[in-house]
Amino acid sequence: MDIGILRRDGRTDGFFDAAARDRLAVRRCPSCTAAAPDAAAFLPPDATSCPDCGTEDLDWADVSGEATLVTWTILHGRPAEDGTTPPPALIALVELAEGPWLYARLDDLAPSDLREGLALRARFVHPPEGEAYPLFIPA
Amino acid sequence: MRDGAAIAGLGMTELGRVYGRSPRRLAADAVRAAVADAGLGLGELDGLLVSHGLGGSPGIEVADTLGLRDLRLLTQMNSFGATAGAMLSYAAMSVLSGAATTVACVFADAPLKPKQSAGSAYHRDAAEWYGFGGMTAALGLRSVNAFYALAAQRHMARYGTTSEQLGAIAVSTRDWASRNPLAQMRDPITLQDHQDSRWVAEPLHLLDCCLVSNGAIAVVVTSADRAADLARPPVHLWGWGQGHPGHRKERGSAFGLTTGAATSGPIAMKMAGITPADVTQAQLYDCYTYTVLVSLEDYGFCGKGEGGAFAASGALGPDGALPTNTGGGQLSGYYMWGMTPVSEAVIQARGDGGDRQAPSDMILVSGNGGILDHHATLVLSPHRKGA
Repeated sequence: MDIGILRRDGRTDGFFDAAARDRLAVRRCPSCTAAAPDAAAFLPPDATSCPDCGTEDLDWADVSGEATLVTWTILHGRPAEDGTTPPPALIALVELAEGPWLYARLDDLAPSDLREGLALRARFVHPPEGEAYPLFIPA
Repeated sequence: MRDGAAIAGLGMTELGRVYGRSPRRLAADAVRAAVADAGLGLGELDGLLVSHGLGGSPGIEVADTLGLRDLRLLTQMNSFGATAGAMLSYAAMSVLSGAATTVACVFADAPLKPKQSAGSAYHRDAAEWYGFGGMTAALGLRSVNAFYALAAQRHMARYGTTSEQLGAIAVSTRDWASRNPLAQMRDPITLQDHQDSRWVAEPLHLLDCCLVSNGAIAVVVTSADRAADLARPPVHLWGWGQGHPGHRKERGSAFGLTTGAATSGPIAMKMAGITPADVTQAQLYDCYTYTVLVSLEDYGFCGKGEGGAFAASGALGPDGALPTNTGGGQLSGYYMWGMTPVSEAVIQARGDGGDRQAPSDMILVSGNGGILDHHATLVLSPHRKGA
């Protein structure tokens, strides 16, 4: 699939550093994690502060890449001039095993496969130009 | 008897594919019309609240455009689709506190350009995308349609809500619109038409989605005592409330299942001293059919998860138990954000609904903004509270 070229923005570079080595990274609050080590405080990759303690001093943390399907939408492309229609894009909200939700693109799945709670895992795409990015596929 | 607040004037510009007037000019025209409707002069306004669409204009410069002087209240407000309800509540509180006596509230927007499709008015596209947020857009999350589709799909998976039940809302809303000369889409549709309309973002069909409109709507709020002496029948503000649940996108989130209406509704109805059973008609923000469905549940007009069956029962239509979006809403009438339900409520409360007049003793008005993130509720009535 052609999604255009991804560039860094200086604020979420840790996500793309991890993607380059086929790992999914999210933000983690070090102070809340230290206070309650059994409930590590994971936050989405674009979090800018911890909603619980307020710190802006967030770590990047590799997570498992395991997720479950929360909900989805199927985006149907418009027919091209030659009459062919591109395959539909399966877009989802997924819940990482560590808790945060991510907006995600699904792959290796048909619309009829989709159900709440479906087990997924991240697989990384390394395009010739621009940053690597995850797709979510059946676990 | 304790004084209250009331809507004394309503002003609406031409709505829809209206070109050649800036949002600022449209806003000024709507305020002039609302003031004239109330039988007032512009110089009698001492407050103005302004809100805009995605274009970021107009702001408080509307006061300058109108030549207003010696205002005691002048603010640009934004809580997205909840702004109209919020503006009216702040206007009412200003009147009740004595901070101002006569406050105009206006929304204006002009996203449509000539020779451009409605959908492209809000479309984003690019060859390069920046950062994690850019990646989300690059992967396909580029329109509000997709986010609402995610919400609707979650409700469908959890509660068994169907596309046909959403379609029932599209059909009843169009039925109402066919009776409203102000509505942009007045040709009746069938459930089959809804099912046959193209996917915008599955599970949402084209006929699940609202229109895009240019134009402006304004109201004038003043005290109930003063409104009683003005040109038009007062529309009394019995109650108001807001709800901003701040759904975190993480395990346990109620995203797509419950909205801020579950908070704003009970606050507004408690203030009004009513229950959902007292509401004789509802004007619910309908950016999508699904928004109506989930709002009906959150206001308590039916149980959680039962919105689909409630809509499919015919309850929302002209012969239904809860006439809803009697002007055609934003799906078929006109898309003026939260001012769409407010304007129809004023028309109905005055008994000016013509072929679409519904029982209007107690009207619930709902605004919704963001992706079900922000809600504002009003309870309006032609009757004076406590009278």
